[in-house]
Amino acid sequence: MGNLVDLSLPIEPITPNHLIGTVGDIFLQERYERLLSLPVVSDGRPVGVISRHNMQKIFMTRFGREIQGNKPVAAFMNPLPLLVSVDQSMEEASHFVTRNIAFPITEDFILVKDGQYHGIGSVIDLLRGMEERIVEQNLSLSKALSLLKASQSQIIQSEKMASLGQMVAGVAHEINTPLGYVKNNLEMAGEAFKSLQNLGDAHDSLLADLQSGNASDDDVHQQLNRIEILNEQFQTVYPKSEMDALFKDTLYGLQQISEIVVNLKNFSRLDQAAVDNVNINQCIDSALLIAKNVVKHKAEVERNFGTLPAVRCAPSQINQVILNLITNAAHAIDRPDGRIVIRTQADQRHVHIVVTDNGKGIPPELVGKIFDPFFTTKPVGQGTGLGLSIAFKIVQDHCGSIRVKSRPGLGTAFCVSLPVHVSAPVEGKSS
Amino acid sequence: MITKPMPACPLAEPAKIAMDRPTILFVDDEERILRSLRMLFAANYRVLMTTNGHEALEILQRERVHVLVSDQRMPIMTGVDLLRQARDVSPSSMRLLLTGYSDMEAIIGSINDGEVYRYISKPWSADEFRRTVGEAMEIAVSLWDPQPIKIVAPPNNESLEILLLDQSPDIAVAIRTLLDENFPGAYHLDWATSQSEAMAILERGKVSIIISEINVDGEDVTPFLKTLKHFHAQIVTIVLTSFRDTSLLMELINQGQIHRFLPKPVRKTLTARSIRSGIERHREILQRPQLTQRHRVEPPRVQVSHSMIHRIRGMLQSLSIGKSNGIKI
Repeated sequence: MGNLVDLSLPIEPITPNHLIGTVGDIFLQERYERLLSLPVVSDGRPVGVISRHNMQKIFMTRFGREIQGNKPVAAFMNPLPLLVSVDQSMEEASHFVTRNIAFPITEDFILVKDGQYHGIGSVIDLLRGMEERIVEQNLSLSKALSLLKASQSQIIQSEKMASLGQMVAGVAHEINTPLGYVKNNLEMAGEAFKSLQNLGDAHDSLLADLQSGNASDDDVHQQLNRIEILNEQFQTVYPKSEMDALFKDTLYGLQQISEIVVNLKNFSRLDQAAVDNVNINQCIDSALLIAKNVVKHKAEVERNFGTLPAVRCAPSQINQVILNLITNAAHAIDRPDGRIVIRTQADQRHVHIVVTDNGKGIPPELVGKIFDPFFTTKPVGQGTGLGLSIAFKIVQDHCGSIRVKSRPGLGTAFCVSLPVHVSAPVEGKSS
Repeated sequence: MITKPMPACPLAEPAKIAMDRPTILFVDDEERILRSLRMLFAANYRVLMTTNGHEALEILQRERVHVLVSDQRMPIMTGVDLLRQARDVSPSSMRLLLTGYSDMEAIIGSINDGEVYRYISKPWSADEFRRTVGEAMEIAVSLWDPQPIKIVAPPNNESLEILLLDQSPDIAVAIRTLLDENFPGAYHLDWATSQSEAMAILERGKVSIIISEINVDGEDVTPFLKTLKHFHAQIVTIVLTSFRDTSLLMELINQGQIHRFLPKPVRKTLTARSIRSGIERHREILQRPQLTQRHRVEPPRVQVSHSMIHRIRGMLQSLSIGKSNGIKI
């Protein structure tokens, strides 16, 4: 039952000239049992309703039927019935009827089409219709909600993938440089080893000749000569001091690479507890290493760390927030003397992280929007506009706060405050 | 980050002897890379190195450097900036760019402004690096000419043959308008919408410049462009495309020696300037055919059909200056 037309009961109406006595008889008929009132129609147009309630008033008066029974219904009817056009929506009709119907409900409303009588509708049917409608709407709303949730998690996922991609590219570059010289050095060491082997072989054959005792002086002399030449060649191509440096550099490069790997592990925390007591200063250091490639050529970083109590939090999420603030700061810097200051401090109840840059700042009219999902000033394809909205959500889940202060042309400061005690994120949120 | 200048050369050599030896200059902000490369090349060349682009330019001004190898990402001066300035300071030096993780803008800059000879990706293979540098060295030593050549226009003022390979009529109109505005009456434009049409035009006449998309009618034409360059280095290639892919671009340099890379949509002044410099490059080569050596390509690594190689090679006969540039396939 979705439309008003379906609510319309095609009751044969009475005329204004019907006598009260006759109307009384009609009301007694079984098929009118459900009706509160009868429509009064003249020339196809509804002119009033006469309710059972009014009839009762007449008939319950002493000699009421005898005195009034022969009078026309027009004298007793309500001449201003509720008229509802069947073209209206269920909602509009329901709104109109509930606002205008007299209480207690003693009448039905009249449905009209183009001003002509169409049928009669009962309030209870209208309510039922509305209820069904609401059930239907709830169903489609909850469907829409679950769709929305799915696409939201998809978007968050794609934001994660985008920042992950950026991070991977940065880390790849960090690894590439040491990898470049480590590989080259090792290839050269392999070549050096080959030369050494040749030298060793020459020594061996000389030794064998000497031991056999039947080598001529000439032979020995020749072989010694050869060894000398090989040795000289080796010393020129691979001078000892340079070989020492080469091995030192190689180990240094491998050390660099392993530091990056350890740091990646710390940053992602894939192999550790989701919620832990964490030193925020360490989180910042690991985020700084991850962001190194973005920050390196844009800004000097000043770390100004206070002594902090351990904070109970989801470190991988907090890392994500800090990394976001640091990369945002680097992206905002458009001057050669870029500077990012990261300050931490603690009071009785909170740990505060303040990331300040001397970048281009945020125009005052945009400050209110920066935490909105999808808000970004970056060109299409370079920012999803989700970084800060996700950061906001994470900090909120930790019962913390994130604030911003910005002056265009001077820079921006973000402050994240996390409670020391009850800081674990609410279970199941922003996983 | 270490930025202090390194000693230019480990051995203090008398300048005179030094000038005669094939010389290579490495520029990288990581000293360990420099040390590693010095060891790789010290046996064969005089090796100079610095962590600073400004110092590199001073060295280029002061001494004869045959091959310049620069890293791209450096704090004081980027590799592209260095290559661009090196082109003015020492035009005969062969320029190579060492790249790790490279962004599109840098690669386009190194083609259009730096006229880079090769890209070497980090991490490199020692043998390949030696071979690439060896080739560059050979070219620079044999063609070393401190005097920039004066280009004279051909006496009979014959019109310039330009071939456009692109499917889009809009592009054809844009290029024709641009040519009319900039080179009125001095050119002849042929428009091909497929590789085979382009080949037929190439066989017919003396094309000087080819302006080409990378993907035409769903077909990747980069193998065609590479093979064409391999056999006919005097034909200057300008790529005009909406494709943006760094590894593809690096291939187009290493194996295709494209003259310019222009991202679509057509930007008038940039395109006109590129065509103008393409014309100069073409005339330069006509005057000194041995200069084609400077645009020698690596043999294409993609499978190219034999019939295409034959056709492109066959064009040799129909092209008057199509002398073999000494590369075997």
